Formats: sequence, structure tokens, C-alpha cells
Amino acid sequence: MKKKLVSILLVSALTASALTGCGGGSGESQQTQTTDSSSGETSDTTGDAAGAESTEGSGEIKEFTAFFATPGTEINDDNEIQQIIAEKTGAKCKETWLTGQSDSEAVGTLIASGEYPDFIEGGSGTLQLYEAGALVALDDYLDNYPNIKALFTEQQWDQLRQDDGKIYWIPQFSCIKNKESVCTHNDEAFWIQTRVLKWADYPEIKTMDQYFDLLEAYNEANPTMEDGTTNIPYTILCEDWRYFCLENAPQFLDGYPNDGSVIVDPDTLKVIDYNTTPTAKRYFQKLNEEYKKGIVDPESFTQTYDEYIAKLSTGRVLGMIDQWWDFAYTAGDAIRQQGLDAQGCNYVPLPITIEEGIQNQWHNSGGVLNVSSGLAITVSCEDVEGALKFVDDLLSQEIHNLRSWGVEGVDYNVLDNGEFSRTPEQVAQAADAAYKASHLCTYSYFPQYSGMSDDGINANKPEGQPNEFYANLQSDVKECFDAYGVQTYVEMIGTTEAPGAWYPMWSYSNTLTTSTPGGTAWNRMGEIKHEYLPKVVMASDFESGWSEYMDAYESCKPQDFLDEMQAELDKRMEEAAKYN
Amino acid sequence: MSNKFKNKSKANITEPKTKISWKEIKQQKVLLIWSAVIVVYGVIFYYLPLAGWLMAFQQYKPKDGLLHSKFIGLAKFEQLFTDITFIRTIRNTLAMGVINLIATFITAIVFAILLNEITSRGGKKVVQTISYLPHFLSWIIVTGILHDALSGSGIINEVLLKLHIIDQSINFFAHPGYFWPIVAFANVWKETGWNAIIYLAAITSIDPSLYEAAAIDGAGRFAKIKYVTLPGIKPTIMILLLMNVGNVLNAGFEIQYLLGNGLVQSVSQTIDIYVLKWGISQSDYSIGTAAGIFKSVVSIVLIVIANQIAKHNGEERLF
Repeated sequence: MKKKLVSILLVSALTASALTGCGGGSGESQQTQTTDSSSGETSDTTGDAAGAESTEGSGEIKEFTAFFATPGTEINDDNEIQQIIAEKTGAKCKETWLTGQSDSEAVGTLIASGEYPDFIEGGSGTLQLYEAGALVALDDYLDNYPNIKALFTEQQWDQLRQDDGKIYWIPQFSCIKNKESVCTHNDEAFWIQTRVLKWADYPEIKTMDQYFDLLEAYNEANPTMEDGTTNIPYTILCEDWRYFCLENAPQFLDGYPNDGSVIVDPDTLKVIDYNTTPTAKRYFQKLNEEYKKGIVDPESFTQTYDEYIAKLSTGRVLGMIDQWWDFAYTAGDAIRQQGLDAQGCNYVPLPITIEEGIQNQWHNSGGVLNVSSGLAITVSCEDVEGALKFVDDLLSQEIHNLRSWGVEGVDYNVLDNGEFSRTPEQVAQAADAAYKASHLCTYSYFPQYSGMSDDGINANKPEGQPNEFYANLQSDVKECFDAYGVQTYVEMIGTTEAPGAWYPMWSYSNTLTTSTPGGTAWNRMGEIKHEYLPKVVMASDFESGWSEYMDAYESCKPQDFLDEMQAELDKRMEEAAKYN
Repeated sequence: MSNKFKNKSKANITEPKTKISWKEIKQQKVLLIWSAVIVVYGVIFYYLPLAGWLMAFQQYKPKDGLLHSKFIGLAKFEQLFTDITFIRTIRNTLAMGVINLIATFITAIVFAILLNEITSRGGKKVVQTISYLPHFLSWIIVTGILHDALSGSGIINEVLLKLHIIDQSINFFAHPGYFWPIVAFANVWKETGWNAIIYLAAITSIDPSLYEAAAIDGAGRFAKIKYVTLPGIKPTIMILLLMNVGNVLNAGFEIQYLLGNGLVQSVSQTIDIYVLKWGISQSDYSIGTAAGIFKSVVSIVLIVIANQIAKHNGEERLF
């Protein structure tokens, strides 16, 4: 359906923007359209408000709309916690998510239509939204909303200023409140099923070669799961923007953190292209060898994200590179639901580098301020203050607990010492898709805290609560952690301080468009890598495949891109120096 | 058909050009008012949007709008035609367009004729209904089915493996060579039944006495098809062919978008996908519009050429 919509929009997009263009600033046609759509919403609101009034007797409940340019799951309209929050704050928000397209496609289409929801998170299309004049500057409002204001330091707020000196969006995930408390490794890693480690009696796996040797050995000894399903030793997700699972490992293998698009040498402060390093070649050569041996899933390069998640959910896949958030809440929950922990199908991260003795930086402590995108309010929003108040309310500790923990007594219990704890049943319930849709409402793309709650006892999110986290670990993961003498995923992979003021560089490369030579190069490089990296891995003759790839890669003029990244790096260091 | 032509030319000779008088206008007042509505509708919805073509000659910024963006002449077109990716999308679009046109066209005609040969009324109805149902499925469903059927453990590979035709499952979507045939197959599967309806209708309108006469003259089944059915639906075929030629560049968007992946992108991307990728998602609306204009112009040229050829050969034509 969405696809159909996209195509219709595509056909009419230019037409539509032509019409708005004709209006020439008076925006008359636009106005009428907006009223039309909002009148539909208003009737909705009154319906809900009437319901709320009968129970609460309070004022009307405002209903906002939000679009997040990232895949997500819509919750039910009568979601219970959403209703509780609405009663407490006087507002609710209907969230819609990306389906099918990429974020910049969706945002580009929105801009062409000139109609926006109240809230928007534009992903890598955020800068385009700003340039199209679609966003409301927040500077004049921020001081009235203490919770929002307190999310970041002055320096951080300044980092968010655009070239006109104003702030337009609020990064959602960058605020660590009070003390940091992390148990999961919410980032990228080589993941491996616990059953593989257990079979080999929990060996120390530190290099890529050891990792694949282990997968090979295990798969030879155990080609199937208990029910006879054939194992897939290693699969690679590379659909669209998710091809990071294939392409950016070389930076980690060399011991650098996730700058995402380049390596930054911390001593010289120069950018390095990780696509052409010797490590990159070794990594792809290894994949090529493993592909020929049948260890790499032959469907890797043609599978869609859904197919990939379905595969992981069956527990067949022994290992892969991925970001925790990309599989844990879907495939991870499915594995939990099916009780596959009994077979050891859960994934743990390994501290892998290209050679032994390199300090890995798969995990960094401290928050990462992603300046490239965040929650923004659009010019279509008629009640900016109401919208900001809603965001501010969502950040109050009480509402935040509702969002992340749920309802006391139902989703978690409070122990005598004030500590929150969940029974295994409650944990299982929270992983249930139907329950999530009908009961839980995390407003997951609204600003939020990690770290510790104001009460000084509890973490802001259940996954950061050490006791609770450890008590509810899946049996196989617990066994594995015990064997390695660790308590959390983070300890499993090790941690380092966040590298420097420039970090992360991907927050800049994400915003590049073809309007600059560097952006053009960046897009072309992406295009070439999408086509050639799979070819390289599947090549019968790796060397010739690699040199073909390198030729095609050089023709994209990567130096243009690197120059722009270097300029941004210098700029960031300069800005940061002002605060020291 | 030749009769019709004669009539037409006769009409041209005998009827002198009528002069439009006020009296006549008054008489046809209501008709004129209604057609004016249609004209206004056409102007607003088909011609006004063409003002958006201006974008292709501007460095268009949504913030500045159409009126205040900077004019840059043909720079965007230059950029387009020096871009190897775009040239490739033209090739892909044309290739897939032509393959699809030929494949769906022939299968639809053959299917309609075969269906017409079925004497059992019930059987005919059932087959027809079943065959055009896929038309109502959206591409997302069709591509989902295809993706499953053609996957490593899908039904096609299973069957080929069980029959020992292959000994290792084929990854159909990893080979650029398979992509166009897969797209053509999908189009045929989805649209044959639907496209056949119009030919079936044309066949029904053939005078049954022609068949009787042919039978008396000793024509068998194949002779009847060759000498009665095919000539009978020839005008329909020509008109549809002409219209479809204009559509060649609309080789599709959804199916290529949904079935494509990194490995086959050099053969899978069409002009429409190019517009989405390099126009809309990079917010370079100018280049998107330029590509759109190119597509429209080529389509018009194609249709005119096809029409001229038809005219030249004395066949049915559009204008």
C-alpha cells in the first residue's frame, strides 16, 4: 500500500510542489490543504477528548501527530499507557513510522508536498527539512521548558545551532541523566550465539580469524538445530542503509570507534578512509573465503530486512555483525518468546579486532550527541507551545517512568528499598508484540533519558538496572556471562571513553546531499559499495574482484568527500576548543 | 475497415465546411457550458502543473519556491546526460519497457484467442476470472510472492532441485542477467488476464456470420483464427499498441524498487527510481524534474513516430 502511495506521490510530487510554488508565498492552496487534514484530526481529538472528559472531567486532550523517518511499530489507538499519559499531561501523539522507503526519500516526498505532521524526526533528511523552511526555531521557547532545557549543556545546545544560529531539533537519545548505567551493548559488534561458545567451552575470541574458525568448527560438528533446521553460520544484512552490517567493520577491526563514515586518527586529527585500508581488504578477503566455503549465507546480499529478521528469529543463524537495536527488539524478543534460550540461540558480542593486542572500541561510554537529527516541530504545527509542553511533560520523572518501566504493580514492582524490579513473567510480557501494542507506550522517538533516575536508586530504563538486568537474563546468556566472569554485555565486549570532541563523524556525513561535491562523492561511493562489496565477497577470484571494486570506487572521487569531512572535523575541534 | 476509410473521405468531400452561427451556439448552449467545464478542468489539472517544469531550469529550493529560485538554464540537463547512472537508467527503462510491452502484448492476445476457442461457457468464465484476479493485487504483494518463490529455499528452487535439473539452489536475485526476465514474467503473470479482456470484447463483436461463411468455405480452427479473428481485432490491437508505445518509458517503479538490490542495481534502476534517489531524496528537485521532462518528451516523440508509421501503413491510428 505504502509503495503504491510512494509511486502516486512520486508522480504527483513535482506537480504538487509546482502548485505550491505558484501560490508564491501566499501559500493559499497549502493553507486549505492543511485545514482539510487537520479538520479530520480535530474530529478525532474531540472524540478522544469526550471519552477523557467523561472519566477525568479535565480539559480537552490535545492530539498531536508525529512522523519518524525510521522503521518502527505503531501502537494501538487505545493503548493503555498512552491514555494514562494523555490524562496526566493533557496531550497525546499519534506516531507514524517509515515503511519501505529510506528516510531521505520519505522526507523528500514530504517536502515536495509541503504538508507536515506536528512533530518530525527526519533522520538523514533532517537538514533538508531545515533548508526547506519546514521547521520551527526553538530558541525563543526553550527557556520556558526546564526539562527540555536541562537535557543538554550550553555547549551541546550550541553544537545544535544551524547556520542561521538557531536550534531546530532536540536529539532524543543523547541525555544521560545523573550517573551512567549501561548493561547492554546497544551498538555494533560481531555477535555469536551462546551455543557456539558453549560448545567450544567458552574460548577467548579476539580476532576475526578466530571468530570464523569457531563458526566453521561448530557448524561442522553441529550442522543443524535440535529440530533438524540447518544452521546458517554467518549472514550479512545489506539491504539499503542497513548495509553497515557489511561495510563499516574495517574501522572497528582497526580499533577505531564508530565514526561511521571515516576513521579519525586521534593523534593527528586527520580523517582516514576505512574503505581502502589493508584491514578492509583483509576483512573482505576473509568474507570471500568464507563465502566460498559456504559459511556466509548465499542469500546475504539479496535478503530484505524482514527476511533477515525472520531468519534470526528461528535461531538458525550462528553469527553476524549488526547493531543491537537493529535485531534485539525484534529477533531477540522472538527468540525469548519461543524459549530458544534452552538451545543457546541468544547472541552475545565479542571483542574482535583484526589482530590481537588492538584495543577495540566497539563500545564507548558516555553519551553521543548526534547533532544531525532529532525531534523537531514543523511549521504545520498550530500549537508549538502545547507541543513543547508535551515534550517537557514526557521528560518529567513520573511520566518517564511510565514510558520506560510501565505501570507500577503491573509492569514492575517496587521493592522495600525503593528499587524497581520485574518478575520473569513481566519481562516476558514486555517482550510480547501484542502487549507492546496494546499496553506499553514508550514514545521511543521523543527525547528521553538514560542513566539513573532522580530517586538515585533506579535506572531510567529497565535495561540499565543492573540487578534487574542480571536477574532476568536469558538462561543461556547468564551461563555464558558466568563462564566469562562478566555481568553485562558491556563487560563482555569491553568499553573505552568516548574518543573526542569530533565524535561521531557520521552525524555529519548523514546530512550530506548532492548539493556539494563531497556529498555527491559520498552518494556515489554508497552506490558503488552497494553493488561491488557483494560482488567482491562472491567473486571467484578475489584479487581481480577487489581491483575492479577499487577502480570503480576511485572513480567516485572519494577525496572530495574526505576533504569535506576533514573540514568538518577541523570545525568541530575549533568549536570545542572554545569551551576548554 | 477499408469501408470506413472510404466513408470518411467521402464525408470530407461532400460536406462543405459549416459556418458556426450564433443561432447554433445558442441552440447548443448547454453542451458548450458542459464542455467548457471539461476544458477548465483540463487546463487546471493537466496544463497548469506543467509550470512546475520551470524547476528543471532553476536551482530550485523549496524555501524560495518557484518564483524566487535562481535560474540556471540547462545546467541540470547537462548534469543528467553526463551522469553515467542516468544513461544506464534510460537503457534499463527502455529495455524493460520494450520487453514488457512485447511480452504482455503477445501473451494477452494469444490468451484471448485461446480463451475464445473454449466452447464451454462455464469453463471460459472461470478461467477468465482466475486469470485477471492478479491484476488487483498490489505490487508489494506480487513482489513478496516472487521473492519467496524465487528465494534459495523457495518453491522454484525446490522443484528444480527435486527434479535434479540443478544441484545447488540458484540465487535468482543475485544475477543481473535474470532481472529483466523476472520483471517481464511478473508483468505477464499480473496483467495477462486483465489485458485480454479488451481483446475478448473485440472478438465478441466480430460478426458470427463471418465465421459461418469461413466454415462453409472450408476453414478450420486455425484458418478461422488467422482469417477472421485476427483481422477482426486488428484495429484494437493497433490502437492499444500505439497507446502502449507511449508508455514504454513507464516501465515501472514499484516492481524494480521492490525487487532490486545492490547487486543488480545497474540493471534494475529505472528513470522513476533515479528521480526518487537523486531528485527527491537528495532534495535536488530540479534534477528530478529534468529527468521527468526528458521522459515525457521521449514518450511524446515515441507516440508520434508510432502514429506516423501507422498512418503511413494505412492502419488505425490515434491522431
